[in-house]
Amino acid sequence: MALSVMSAPTIVRAEDSLDRIRRTGRLVYGSDMEGGAPYAYPDPSATDGVAGFEVELMRRLTSEIGVRAELSQGQWDELLEILKIGRVDAVINGYEWSERRAREYLATRPYYVYQLQLMVQRGSRIRRWSDLNEPRPGGGPWRIGVLASSAGDHFAAEQGGNHIQVVRFDGATDAMLAVQNGQYDATLQDMPAARFYAGRYPGLELVGPPEGRGYYVIFTRESERSLRDVLDRGIGKLIASGELRQLYDRFGIWNEAQEELSGFDGPLPIASGKSGRRGLGLLTEYAGPLLQAAFVTVVLSVGSMPIAMAIGLMVAIGRLYGPRLLNWLLTGYVEILRGTPLMLQLFVLFYLLKLSPWVAGIAGLAINYSAYEAEIYRAGLQAIPAGQMEAALALGMSKRLALRRVILPQAVRIVIPPVTNDFIALFKDTSVCSVITLVELTKQYKILALSTGGTIEFALAAAVLYLMMSVPLSWFSRWSEARLANASVKGGSPE
Amino acid sequence: MIEVDGLRKRFGEADVLRGVTLSVDRGEVAAIIGPSGSGKSTFLRCLNGLERFDAGQVEIDGLVLRGRSEVAASDWGRLHREVCLRVGMVFQGFNLFPHRTAIENVMEGPIYVLGLHRDAADHRARRLLDRVGMSDRLHSMPSELSGGQQQRVAIARALAMEPRAILFDEPTSALDPRMTAEVLAVMSDLASEGMTMIAVTHAMHFARRVAHKVHVFGEGRVIESGPPDRIFDDPREEATRILLSSVEAA
Repeated sequence: MALSVMSAPTIVRAEDSLDRIRRTGRLVYGSDMEGGAPYAYPDPSATDGVAGFEVELMRRLTSEIGVRAELSQGQWDELLEILKIGRVDAVINGYEWSERRAREYLATRPYYVYQLQLMVQRGSRIRRWSDLNEPRPGGGPWRIGVLASSAGDHFAAEQGGNHIQVVRFDGATDAMLAVQNGQYDATLQDMPAARFYAGRYPGLELVGPPEGRGYYVIFTRESERSLRDVLDRGIGKLIASGELRQLYDRFGIWNEAQEELSGFDGPLPIASGKSGRRGLGLLTEYAGPLLQAAFVTVVLSVGSMPIAMAIGLMVAIGRLYGPRLLNWLLTGYVEILRGTPLMLQLFVLFYLLKLSPWVAGIAGLAINYSAYEAEIYRAGLQAIPAGQMEAALALGMSKRLALRRVILPQAVRIVIPPVTNDFIALFKDTSVCSVITLVELTKQYKILALSTGGTIEFALAAAVLYLMMSVPLSWFSRWSEARLANASVKGGSPE
Repeated sequence: MIEVDGLRKRFGEADVLRGVTLSVDRGEVAAIIGPSGSGKSTFLRCLNGLERFDAGQVEIDGLVLRGRSEVAASDWGRLHREVCLRVGMVFQGFNLFPHRTAIENVMEGPIYVLGLHRDAADHRARRLLDRVGMSDRLHSMPSELSGGQQQRVAIARALAMEPRAILFDEPTSALDPRMTAEVLAVMSDLASEGMTMIAVTHAMHFARRVAHKVHVFGEGRVIESGPPDRIFDDPREEATRILLSSVEAA
């Protein structure tokens, strides 16, 4: 270290990442440990608590330059964005080389030749990818789970016509679980993940020859040529010395396809040609999928909010006017649903109760928000003076009639603003439904941004679409408030 | 017509009513006076079932209400409604429905409780609002009316149910003298038309002029009952004398 500092050139230039890495002694790389085996996954017994062939590869590459490798956890499909904004120095996480990515980032030479492996429920009639050309018993398209934006996603989308429906999951293992559950027909996974997890999902089997072929590479920012070159040379050394093969053997992921690795002598070349569309052109090209995703968002929120409001109202009335036992039960209902994340509730509905994504999504949002609506209604009902109920009862009304005719109409005006507020919040919370394979606006934005590189374009488009949908909601809220306020001073012209 | 016998009511540790016995005949106007905390309002609320009492009996035109331990909770709702159909109630705070106009307030009970047709209810409401001098404010919201006007609408609302008696719970306590006068005038009219009324009130001149009988409450009991002249001019109990002198001083 000291020597390298001494020998640094005296020409004044800005410090690049490699300089900084040498100075601080640490290289931070982005990876997603969720369902991340055997690439990178938590292992309490390993150094730093993380294990995986990529983790070990990074350790070896960084020890070459005398620094420490440090994993920074990030959502898989966001890793390249995280790299771009400078939060990490490199990304290594089963990211395959593509023309598009290579134009935007610097890639090292391949460190792994991946192939895709079909996984099906044990005993399935699907024995190989080509079986999917046969009609599906029971009709409809074959439903194939993939990790969104992964090589399997691209392969299935390209190969499959109308007879294949690609279902995009946020995590590789989520797709395996859903196939083992019988919710989907098969999942197409990168070979290392398929091999590693085959043992953990005994209800699944690997079928057919590997499909597709591509190269995992390490990405750095476009400006970090020196860092990329160091990593690139390091990989070359590990391949030549046979160390890489030893490492892969240890993880059981070496196969003859890897022989190809030694055939490269640097990063893959980028064909000259058009560098893809940008700006408005890009948006018009993908307007269809974006609008479709916006529609999914609208259906999810418009479908779930009325149910949430109805359940919430019943829960609030039950808590305030019901017998004590009911009150306890409903208090438990509210506390459990408010106290646990929406995502977990969606997981339960989708993976345990095995509801379809749409049913699970709408039911999950409705149930989760019903707890919040119940509290709002309860506050609204309690804000009505006790004298109102007494006056109604004194007229001979039953409690039920008094609620309907006297208390609720007054409570409704009080709760309109907070309920609208919740509606807008729910509207944005629909993005959580991507964990159960519903491609709504946020998910579609991520998929398109990752596959086209148009991060800024699609982010703006998604934001505009969200606003176009939520602003009318606010208008509606203000309009209905004003309408109710007018109603309470209508008639009776001042004398 | 209203017979109360040995009515007892506790709120936790507090003995609010310690055995109240009194009766009101048909067409009689009974005034209840007494210091704050003597149980007057609680007594009224027991009469129309807003409060359940612990012991004793209330009989209203043949309908008998008994203490908490003798009436199953499941029967209470039905009994309560039957009582409310017989006796109307006018509150200190008016308790008009703020989201409905004056006439809608009056029509609400006849339509939704008595099942009257809307036209018939409308007709009845106009007649009653005219009777309380509110025919020019039929479509005003309660928030646009003065306290006295609101209380007159509330009286019309109670009358619309055609009750056999009306209970007034300090109907003028929230009003200034001018508005008090307009409400008391309406109540005097009702009395002269033969309506059975029980009024908890601090308006002594009303009690003296309109009531047939005055009941003095103290510490959860009736300490003295009698015609107004006798009570006001010749009180027999020390507590009554103290009460009356404090009112005159005020």
